[in-house]
Amino acid sequence: MLDIEDLQVLRDQQPLRYSLQVQRGEILAIQGRSGVGKTTLLDCIAGFASAHCGRLDWQGQSLLGLGAAQRPVSMLFQDHNLFEHLSIADNLSLGLSATLPKETLQSALDTLEVAELLARRPTELSGGQRQRIALIRTLLRPEPIVLLDEPFAELDPHSRQRATDWTRRTAKAAQKTLLMVTHQYEDVQQVADRAIMLLGIT
Amino acid sequence: MLAAGMLALGFSLAVTVLAFYGLIGFDSSGTESRLDTRLLSDGYFHSVVWFSIKQAGLSALLALVLAWPVARALYYSPGLWLRQSFLSLCVLSFVMPTLILITGLVALLGRQGLISPWLGQDWNLYGLPGILIAHVYLNLPFAIRVQLLQLQHIPDSSWKLAAQLKLGAWQRLRLIEWPALRAGMLQLFGFVFVLCFNSFAVVLALGGGPRATTLEVAIYQSLKYDFNIPEALTLAWTQLLIAGSLFLLLNRLGGNQWLGVDSTQQHWTPKPGAAMQRLHRLLYATAALALLLPLLALVPGVLQVNLARFDWLAIARPAFITLLIAAIAGTGALLLAYATLLPSRFARTEGRNTLALLCDWLSTHALVAPAMVVSVGLYILLLPRLDLDHWGMLFVVLLNMVLILPYAVQQLRPRLLQFDRQYERLVRSLKLGFQERLRIEWPYMRRACITSFALMLLLAMGDVAIFSIFGTSDWTTLPWLIYGYAGTYRMGEASVASLLLLLICALVVWLFQHFEKGQQDA
Amino acid sequence: MKTIIGLCSALAFGLTQASQAADLRVYTYDSFVSEWGPGPQLEQAFEAQCGCDLEYVAVEDGVSILNRLRIEGENNKADVILGIDDGLSVDTRATGLIEPHGLSISPLRQELAWQDDSFVPFDFGYFAFIYDSSKISQPVTSLRALIESDASVIYQDPRTSTPGQGLMMWVKAVYGDEAPAAWQQLSRHTVTVTKGWWEAYSLFLAGDADYVLSYNTSPAYHVVAENKTQYRAAPFSEGHVAQIELAAITSTSQNKDLGRDFLQFLVSPQAQAIIPVTNWMLPVIDNVELPPVFGELISPQRIGFSAEEAGASRQQWLREWRSSAAQ
Repeated sequence: MLDIEDLQVLRDQQPLRYSLQVQRGEILAIQGRSGVGKTTLLDCIAGFASAHCGRLDWQGQSLLGLGAAQRPVSMLFQDHNLFEHLSIADNLSLGLSATLPKETLQSALDTLEVAELLARRPTELSGGQRQRIALIRTLLRPEPIVLLDEPFAELDPHSRQRATDWTRRTAKAAQKTLLMVTHQYEDVQQVADRAIMLLGIT
Repeated sequence: MLAAGMLALGFSLAVTVLAFYGLIGFDSSGTESRLDTRLLSDGYFHSVVWFSIKQAGLSALLALVLAWPVARALYYSPGLWLRQSFLSLCVLSFVMPTLILITGLVALLGRQGLISPWLGQDWNLYGLPGILIAHVYLNLPFAIRVQLLQLQHIPDSSWKLAAQLKLGAWQRLRLIEWPALRAGMLQLFGFVFVLCFNSFAVVLALGGGPRATTLEVAIYQSLKYDFNIPEALTLAWTQLLIAGSLFLLLNRLGGNQWLGVDSTQQHWTPKPGAAMQRLHRLLYATAALALLLPLLALVPGVLQVNLARFDWLAIARPAFITLLIAAIAGTGALLLAYATLLPSRFARTEGRNTLALLCDWLSTHALVAPAMVVSVGLYILLLPRLDLDHWGMLFVVLLNMVLILPYAVQQLRPRLLQFDRQYERLVRSLKLGFQERLRIEWPYMRRACITSFALMLLLAMGDVAIFSIFGTSDWTTLPWLIYGYAGTYRMGEASVASLLLLLICALVVWLFQHFEKGQQDA
Repeated sequence: MKTIIGLCSALAFGLTQASQAADLRVYTYDSFVSEWGPGPQLEQAFEAQCGCDLEYVAVEDGVSILNRLRIEGENNKADVILGIDDGLSVDTRATGLIEPHGLSISPLRQELAWQDDSFVPFDFGYFAFIYDSSKISQPVTSLRALIESDASVIYQDPRTSTPGQGLMMWVKAVYGDEAPAAWQQLSRHTVTVTKGWWEAYSLFLAGDADYVLSYNTSPAYHVVAENKTQYRAAPFSEGHVAQIELAAITSTSQNKDLGRDFLQFLVSPQAQAIIPVTNWMLPVIDNVELPPVFGELISPQRIGFSAEEAGASRQQWLREWRSSAAQ
């Protein structure tokens, strides 16, 4: 279980406060107005923003003392998810476990219709294509916690349908604990088990 | 990884510290070498400090201001004729050995200079004009390159947005161009200021008399002719304090460089109007001519030498040694620069900006530490302990490496910072190890590394100061040979050898430009 | 890659090559041992005579020899030092690292008036202003005339060069207490003051001044090596200041007899015939067989100060120059 209790993060001198619990294998959608602190919450879980008090436990162990590279977390940022100077294939290989079956990756590429792009550079891709590549890598990495920051924002309705389906299927099959920031009601419906609304009461 | 970085930083610091230790600890007359504080109230000392600051400030200001329109012309008109060669010429001018520069400028602007007749009766190269011309010649090309690079970091999206919002020329300048240049400008000013502040032979040769005396001259005199170590130390600390604090201040004011992410490769810049394009071409041609003329002015002098009787073989070995030393020192400096940058990058990602700034300053401190003091200090420290007639060349390489380190750091840092800004979170999130990290950074850094290596090579190839102290005559380098020729009436041979050195430098620039282009296309 | 490794190992090999302890180590300056300098020929001649091995250890210039002695102290490796000039002799003696040679040196040229138990002169020259006779037909005939003229002049900085110090003494010898006014007057038609000799001389050759401070022997080089006769030294009626280059044996030498032999060799007709045409200075003994141009060089009256006098007042004179020439 991911247990967050009275976690306080300073953002621009303003304290943000979070309390929530997510069961192992659960998919949680986080909603709320812009600027309410959704990304900050994900950053804090991933170790990119530091909490000054409160609790952040995973399976009973605190994560707060760990650096970003030590946490059991795979995160999809809003942007800069790909190294622009490396090919898509190289980008995908980063952070994936060597034991990941080739077929799993191939089927993900096929499902999300990006298998043709492997030899290209990120600059040659559209925003939606980049987002799908990054999504695949984030979910297939061997981390139990997955954080997605507006993962489907740049997708057309067709791709969106496929991406949401694949995300839910993959997360459930691998028992991932998934937190997803989104503004779209359909995303919540199609992917999440549960949704919370951050209200920004400090 | 961090440990390696600390070690590298410690090494470059240790060289300076040991040098000062060598000077402070040296005891020739039974009295300890203390500071000579009487000097601080000496009127001569004040005028020297003031002149050093004045000429360096003016030189830096002129170089930056004059470089700006040329950099803009290059930025807005990518199709200029021989643009890439011009940029290579800029590198060459920046590393021009003083011997060649002085000869070239005098051949051009001296009393019998080729263009002096057009400059009017009152024209006199010697004095502040000469110093400024020489310093601008050395540093303007460098400033052009840096400013151009900064302009090129403006993301396309900014220009597209500017076009959408129908911003006028002034607004574009104020809202887009200036923010891209501002931070870099301060740092560039500091950099050029320090280079001119430490200038020596140019100042004396073209300065016209003792009015034009820099701290570096005073240090040379006290260390070499008077062997007055307390005085030398006082002067060295003064120099370190002034240049060092200014450098630190400007770095701090400049803050983090404003660097866009290179997410797109198609460059969309606003097309200037026809009149503006003509102006750009004119500016470009003027700058190219100004850089080329002092070099072309050397040719008549060389033609006077009987080239058939010239001993080409005598030059081959020194030329080879020069390249070899420069290659080792250059490689070392690049590796050292990468390592010394690790602590500051680490501090920056941790959000500890003051610490990062300190690390940055430390990694470039050799720029402000007087070179003469560092080499002589080490010489004093090592000579009684080590057979320097035997190991001297090792220290020639080592000291060259340490003294060009700041340039290597300056070259690599912006690119590494850009990498960190764009990808540090991703790298950490992907839990990449050191090797994997290097594997990813290398393709990103490759071009910067190649360009920097060329620059390191050229800088190390021009050294005479270190060689004059640690070098051994069995391993004479080409620049030292040139000074040897010039010091024994053989001005003709010296100018031929100089031109040859220049040609080798040009060849290096050309080769690397080619190589770089190949990398770009790949 | 292979070539790089090859190059590096070449350098490493060069570094580790064990230098065998020579019988006689001579500290000298760099241009002395250069291929075209006197060093190689002298070495060959002396080795043939003594059947020993002579090794030069070259540093940048004369001052650097003294500085190296100061740094190394008792641990220096020199048997002989060669290339200190008379202006540095007092400081060199003060290190306590040289000792009287105990030789009876055969008669030296009278104008040197040499009397010193430790230093042996091996060449000398007079500081002189050089001009191009194809441009100037009526050269100035005295230092006063030069300083009062409006002819353009380039000289070297006394803070960083020996010729510069020579001019300082010259002006002091001619003007005495009025030296500051002379410097001021000179500064009005001084083109520039350079760090070292070659900058000044090459500026002069480029045509940037009517007169340059150099040596009375400079024209000899142009005649012998380049067959150019237009460069001349202007003889000054007040007389000229000389620079005498010296050698001495160190008190720490293990091989003083051989050192003495070398000093004796330096003033032998054989060595004295080599030095002038390679170091472009004058021989210290009479009747040396030299190219005819040496007979045509100006031979001025020698004026100046003793090394002791100069050593005691140098700082004072420097300050005087600094403040007057800067105006």
